[in-house]
Amino acid sequence: MQKVQESATHHGAHASAYSHPPVDARLGLKTRLARGTVGLALLMVLAACGGGGGAGDGSDPNTASPGGSGPTNAAAASARFLTQATYGPTSAEITRLSTMSYAAWLDEQFAKPQSLHKDYLNQASGDAAAMNSQVNQDNFFNSYWSQAVAGDDQLRQRAAFALSQIFVISFTDPTLRSQARGVASYYDMLGTYAFGNFRDLLEAVALHPMMGIYLSHLKNQKEDLATGRVPDLNFAREITQLFTVGQYKLNVDGSVATGADGKALAAYTSADLEGLSQVFTGWSWYAGTASTERTNRRFFGNDGNLERDWRPMQDYNQFAANTNFHSIGAKSFFGVTIPAQTLTTADTKGDLKIALDTLFNHPNVGPFIGKQLIQRMVTSNPSPAYVGRVAAAFNDNGAGKRGDMKAVWKAVLLDSEARTVSTASSAGKVREPVIRLANFMRAFNARSTSGRFMGIGNTDDPSSRLNQTVMFAPTVFNFYRPGYVPSSKPIADAGLVAPEFQIVHDVSVAGYMNYMRAAVQVDTSRDIQQDYTTEIGLADIPADLVERMNLLLFAGTMPDALRAQIVAAVTSRAIPAAVYSSSPTAGGTLAKLTDEGGSFTLAATGTVRYGAGTSFVELSVTGTGQCTNEFFGSDPLVGTGKACFLFTPAPATGAPAASAPPPTPSNQAAIDNAKRDRVYLAVFLSMAAPDYLIQK
Amino acid sequence: MTLLKTSRLDASRRRFLRTASVVSGSVGAAAAPFALNLASLNTAVAQTADYKAIVCLFLYGGNDASHMVLRTDALSFNEYTRLRSVAPESIALKAPGTPVVANAALASPDRLGGVRAIAPKFSAGLTGSAENSAYTYALHPSMAEAQGLFAAGRLAILANAGPLVQPLSRAEYVAGVLPRPKALGSHNDQQSTWQALGPEGVKIGWGGHLGDLVASSNTNTVFTSISVSGNAVFSAGETVFQYQVGGGGATQVGGLSGTLFGSNTAAATLKNIVTSTNAHLFANEYGAIVKRSVDAQATFQTAFAASTVAAPSRYQPPSMNLGNTQDNGLAQQLQTVARIIAARAGLGARRQVFFVSMGGFDTHDNQNPNQGDLLARISHALNYFDTTLGTLGMRDNVTLFTASDFGRTLTSNGDGTDHGWGGHHFVMGGAVNGTEIYGRFPQFVQKAGDSTDNAYIPGVSVDTIGSTLGKWFGASNTQLDTVFPNLKNFTRDLGFMKA
Repeated sequence: MQKVQESATHHGAHASAYSHPPVDARLGLKTRLARGTVGLALLMVLAACGGGGGAGDGSDPNTASPGGSGPTNAAAASARFLTQATYGPTSAEITRLSTMSYAAWLDEQFAKPQSLHKDYLNQASGDAAAMNSQVNQDNFFNSYWSQAVAGDDQLRQRAAFALSQIFVISFTDPTLRSQARGVASYYDMLGTYAFGNFRDLLEAVALHPMMGIYLSHLKNQKEDLATGRVPDLNFAREITQLFTVGQYKLNVDGSVATGADGKALAAYTSADLEGLSQVFTGWSWYAGTASTERTNRRFFGNDGNLERDWRPMQDYNQFAANTNFHSIGAKSFFGVTIPAQTLTTADTKGDLKIALDTLFNHPNVGPFIGKQLIQRMVTSNPSPAYVGRVAAAFNDNGAGKRGDMKAVWKAVLLDSEARTVSTASSAGKVREPVIRLANFMRAFNARSTSGRFMGIGNTDDPSSRLNQTVMFAPTVFNFYRPGYVPSSKPIADAGLVAPEFQIVHDVSVAGYMNYMRAAVQVDTSRDIQQDYTTEIGLADIPADLVERMNLLLFAGTMPDALRAQIVAAVTSRAIPAAVYSSSPTAGGTLAKLTDEGGSFTLAATGTVRYGAGTSFVELSVTGTGQCTNEFFGSDPLVGTGKACFLFTPAPATGAPAASAPPPTPSNQAAIDNAKRDRVYLAVFLSMAAPDYLIQK
Repeated sequence: MTLLKTSRLDASRRRFLRTASVVSGSVGAAAAPFALNLASLNTAVAQTADYKAIVCLFLYGGNDASHMVLRTDALSFNEYTRLRSVAPESIALKAPGTPVVANAALASPDRLGGVRAIAPKFSAGLTGSAENSAYTYALHPSMAEAQGLFAAGRLAILANAGPLVQPLSRAEYVAGVLPRPKALGSHNDQQSTWQALGPEGVKIGWGGHLGDLVASSNTNTVFTSISVSGNAVFSAGETVFQYQVGGGGATQVGGLSGTLFGSNTAAATLKNIVTSTNAHLFANEYGAIVKRSVDAQATFQTAFAASTVAAPSRYQPPSMNLGNTQDNGLAQQLQTVARIIAARAGLGARRQVFFVSMGGFDTHDNQNPNQGDLLARISHALNYFDTTLGTLGMRDNVTLFTASDFGRTLTSNGDGTDHGWGGHHFVMGGAVNGTEIYGRFPQFVQKAGDSTDNAYIPGVSVDTIGSTLGKWFGASNTQLDTVFPNLKNFTRDLGFMKA
């Protein structure tokens, strides 16, 4: 009874048609039915936590949905949080999160163990060796998708992806392109330190051999006064400009600090970079546990240790013959001076510590890194106050500790600005193409038949794919710059940035739509299969189906006009009426109410059958109804005049089965195809809509 | 190695920063000079309602150009014959006039007969002309049509071209002090270096970059840089992106018409959804781009469909028996280019850069049949393109040039050649000063002359080729210096284009 009422609230007098699955199987309805209880539970949790907005610990579920006909506020708010913090909401996780505070969810995520991509690659390597081949980039991509789609440490996954776009290395590098396991281990490293301290993350980045190759400080040698050789400046420049400090001095709210003349103040000089470049000398491949293994030959890449592609680089200085590679000259940067050393007092690791400590403690780091993390997860244009709150969390986690990344993620994701749905025309960000695909696969429970998540591979081709691939940025400047402004006058005039627009162009938009149009369709030849069971169960009622898109893909922000368009498009794919071999009067009697096109009014709730011959659809109706396809949701017999009948079950004579479920229709395959088409339409039109492409 | 990476990344990083500032328009000071140059060029272009197109024909894999254009004087040819007629399968082509051995293996030098003599004019004042005039030259036996184009004055040879940082003599090469391009011998890096002046990872190609300079002379800038054979960095500019088309035309957003997932009306709804204006600035911009894409595709397809040119004939691969002809995929790509050129009015295009390509040139083995077929295909396709442009009255407006990863080693490895460096190339069109060789044609000799141990050190830089074409296209010296940062080290105009 309650179910009928709930449904009736949303869809007029509809209740059960022949072709409906059992209502219990319809997850969307169940979610909605749970509204009252869940909402109350969440409010209780919030109350216990102290609740409230600001940079607090929880959220205000009532701010997340435009209300009205959308998903419940709690479910929409949960979906929106998961959109920012994970590779995309799933029905199950929305339900689970609706029973706990976001802060508690974050703590739970912080504690989840990490699965290593390197292990997947090692496994693949074994398989490959058996086939006399080698692991390649595809093995990493498979591993990446297996974790992005199916991993339960979603925050770590998403955090690593965000960090990989700041501390960039890329398979486009001519050397890294064949270092699949090394790059996988680099990605693992970002995940490992994502919930640690930024200082440790910075050191792990600096000493990872893949970064050493990418920015060329691996086997970087000290200056040579005789020949005039100077150390490679590459890494010194990028660790300063891209990984920690940035180009200009920043205020704590991320705004650029200006001098008395109103001009931006440079954050460093070339002399700072030259001083730092001396620090990053004398580092090369991992050689083994004994320092004596760090030979001249190993420094230059010979006699490779089997684990050198993922072990941190080691310092080469004085441990073996002809290994005086580290600069011993005085090194000055950012007001710090390391005095000149001698060959015997050369301190490669000590110098590194001083350099990294200096960079880590630069006041720019909090706002510089914090703002970029906000841009990756939440919005392209955070307010200065929001950046300031995240920077403050970086500077002090509340316990006097600087660089605590857990505090940073909490500040990014729990801030009132992140948790409030803004109606501003500049709110949110362009969804990254890779995340759209992940979002799709998670929303519809994609699983891999082989368990390996094979077949996606490189998705760079803009004309047929996504114009983005993980670990495939074109340069150390990532896929897009944090300050990128598209060539759109209104956006530029509003002073807004939109980084992801840098990879959106005339060809890529066509490529994305064509790629997704194929992806949404079930193709049994694929290793990765989405599961539309729930959606197919909703296909009879387009509004319910589209509502599920609103929850899973739009986090409740689907505009009403768009919803109406998609519902109409879904409805336009007619579902053939079920055809039964048994008589429609079986189990009772029919009394004609009116012919097709007419209306009728019932004194009490009753079961009305609409159709002709042996093809009928059935609804539970209260009050007035229309004898039309629209009212009954489908045309049970195309091209034939139909009528409406009140069905009265035969009086119970022992057995209670008054209206027993009918047998399987003889045209079930056609019905199934139509329902699947409706799901395809709902998913594809949703994901093609510009309103979806902007995460709000 | 260390130095190598620094330069590469510094180059790409500079390029990237330039992109960001120009595209965003957010850094006024940085963007302004570029915009001024552009404006002045536009005026120049607008005053002449003309049309010019540059076509890059890329030979993927590294063409053995020493087999395409040969010096046939004894000094070179004897050494060529000695180094290339090694067991198990000689790849040494025969001297001009050598009769065909009818029962020899298909595509073998004996079966092909002598190389095809050509007679360059050696005009005074051209780079290399004085030295080149002392010797004799020929083309591969499979290149009869190219021989004809050369004689007709619409084909020229660029001798020993390739990537360089600055001019490099053999002595300087051996000394090892002066910089040389990164990752020599690496396929994708040298492909990228030819196309975009830096190893793989560079985002802006010089074709697209030239397109940036002239895009606003086109009514629809979308059609400025067009690739007919997939994604190629050559075609990507800073503001101009490569519009990719196939034999059938442009990439269409599917599902916008007809039946979509069983519905007759959903396609219209989809089109409306993805192209509508939107109150949200970002959603509005996204919709605008989709609309532009859809409209461009429609514009393109309307103009393209109305534009017909004669289809290419089939060609005779030398590795197959006479009469066993094959489709020429390269000629089909050039047919697409010709159709677009014929449709230029409908596309609103006055300056266009095209990219076509063919693969298979990495002839480590089986070089006789494999490269023989490829060179026959080039020759046949160039002739088709020349004829088609002639029919369209557009010969003087279109210039095609060849490019490739690298030339190959001087020696044979038994039935093929390995990765080299410099190589000879063609430039073709009515605006080309043909029947000439530009640049000193190196003697075929190891460890002497213009050679490393076993490959040519280029004498003509990619920058010079691009700059000469760019000048013809209408770019100023200042602009060419932005496109080719190392141009200051080289000849700016090799003279192969008519003024």
